[in-house]
Amino acid sequence: MALVGIIANPASGKDIRRLVAFGSVFDNQEKVRIVRRVLLGLAAMGMERVCYMPDTYHIVERALRRIQVPLEVFPADFRARGEPSDSTEAARVMEALGTGCVVTLGGDGTNRVVAKGSCAVPVLPISTGTNNVFPAMIEATVAGLAAALVARGLVPEEEATFRSTQLEVLRDGEPADLALVDAVVCDDVFLGSRAVWDIAKVRQIVLNRAAPGSIGFSSIGGLLHAVAPDAPEGLYLELGPGGRPVTAPVAPGLIETVGVTTLRVLGVGDRVEVRGAPAVVALDGEREVEVTGRERVSIRLSPHGPRVVDVERTMAAAARRGVLAPRRRGGRPCPATPNVPTS
Amino acid sequence: MSITREKLVDAYTTMVKIRTFEEHAAQLFAEGKIPGFVHLYVGEEAVAAGVCATLRDSDYITSTHRGHGHLISKGGDVKRMMAELFGKRTGYCKGKGGSMHIADMTLGIMGANGIVGGGPPLAAGAGFACKYLGRDDVAVCFFGDGAANQGTTHEAMNLASCWKLPVVFVNENNRYGISCSVDRATCVTDIADKAAAFDMPAVSVDGNDLMAVYEAASEAVERARRGAGPTLIECKTYRQRGHFEGDPAGYRSPEEVAEWKAKDPIPRLEKKLLEMGVLAEDRIREIRAGVLAEVEEAVRFAEESPLPDPSEVTEDVYA
Repeated sequence: MALVGIIANPASGKDIRRLVAFGSVFDNQEKVRIVRRVLLGLAAMGMERVCYMPDTYHIVERALRRIQVPLEVFPADFRARGEPSDSTEAARVMEALGTGCVVTLGGDGTNRVVAKGSCAVPVLPISTGTNNVFPAMIEATVAGLAAALVARGLVPEEEATFRSTQLEVLRDGEPADLALVDAVVCDDVFLGSRAVWDIAKVRQIVLNRAAPGSIGFSSIGGLLHAVAPDAPEGLYLELGPGGRPVTAPVAPGLIETVGVTTLRVLGVGDRVEVRGAPAVVALDGEREVEVTGRERVSIRLSPHGPRVVDVERTMAAAARRGVLAPRRRGGRPCPATPNVPTS
Repeated sequence: MSITREKLVDAYTTMVKIRTFEEHAAQLFAEGKIPGFVHLYVGEEAVAAGVCATLRDSDYITSTHRGHGHLISKGGDVKRMMAELFGKRTGYCKGKGGSMHIADMTLGIMGANGIVGGGPPLAAGAGFACKYLGRDDVAVCFFGDGAANQGTTHEAMNLASCWKLPVVFVNENNRYGISCSVDRATCVTDIADKAAAFDMPAVSVDGNDLMAVYEAASEAVERARRGAGPTLIECKTYRQRGHFEGDPAGYRSPEEVAEWKAKDPIPRLEKKLLEMGVLAEDRIREIRAGVLAEVEEAVRFAEESPLPDPSEVTEDVYA
């Protein structure tokens, strides 16, 4: 029986960028409401089983308190510790259970730790974080429908999803971590409050997605050379004085002009060496990897990122196939409804 | 966010001093030498040390019933603190207040507070005074997850935001109000979420990571000083001991306690400072020995100090 997973991160949307920039606190009660709509969408599309990540706020349990859905909803079998590793563990468990699609609620950081647990199960990322490039701002009801369409095979995976690239962080050549959007080398020694907001400390930027309309480091690259989410290429930028000035929205409400001294398009397998120590590499906006100088750290563009559900594409495929609008047996298709004037 | 090596060593020393003070208080309480109640700060040291590292003497803090860490971090004299715990005349309140009433206005310490949610209105008042008098000092309000449910806290946050007061609300979410877990007593368990009701920026940080606390506090204090208004910082942390000394804390599982002890803020910072070369092993031993001597001296001082005379019982009282 088809299964959908839900990983709702209670910690997303609360980091220091509410203070140093103008990010909104994404409160957990809103995540409850989003999950509620996802569940209703799943049920409407005929899903019967849902596995969720247990969390300290009990997001999914709270969502179920206000609705009655014909779904068997059960937690992934592990104890939540209130750590990012919960999302990784949940993704691992869901893959082992044969989940057909995992809906995530979080930002780039949340999806990064989910990808650390599984890249095999298609992920449908709903944005509830800060600098969101990987997840999309989509209506949860539609996300629920789309997740069910994919999990139940009503829309073939190849029509609904695309394979993302990712950035692998290598320590002495061995994979140590990953990023789904950006890996940024900064002059810092502490992981501290994790976020990166002081652009003057940023030396090197590696991107596997870059769009002029996005936010965060991805926008800096995107304003020079766009890289589509499903394109097998990346970008490498070096920042410094005397470079080409690029004015970009680096965080919510924070627009900075940076000097780009080097811009290079990366192909799959290309590697960038992290220069200078001590330093910290921020992955998808969070300081994660300390570089002490005792080992060689590099970043490689990999083609083996997560499979991502594109909701627009999924719903378009469902429309083409008439999944939600089946033709009446022996009858003609419904005529297009004319526009009705509202006044 | 930069921090000097000197400041890092100071913060580490403060954390060790809090831990040493609390361990002595626990032992002395068990021996029956300390009357009344003591609520110890073991496990939460990074919050007070990280926040107070961003303050100056003229800034204010309001504290809680679990106040020793705040007072030490703001520069409180451990001799007078220990004497107060002993109920001796040389204590901060001349032995009449005990652990929950220690104050030192020369250091901006507006007092520990036995009333849950008693601190926030005081901090808002201090912030108002700073603004009214045109000073660029700030008031920091430490409060727990239990106090986050008190009306006084919400009233203070509302007015602080309305009037753009230089106040930093530092929530120590240690997961328990006495024996009641935050999951049972609080509807919205992420205290940072509550700031939206007051149009106040908020951040949630790992309260057991000194640098995470310091970075958030630096930004919030700087924001308050330049007149941009209050901030709420939620520090997720854990008290390693019971609510008060003598509390068997049967409401928590041994696994949960062990998990949090593994995240103890002091060894965590120590490891980092060693890796960075900020401290060497011998310097750490020296710091620990110095702190131990200071606290032992405080205990001697307290033990040797006189009790208040019964004739002083009506002095220093307001009503």
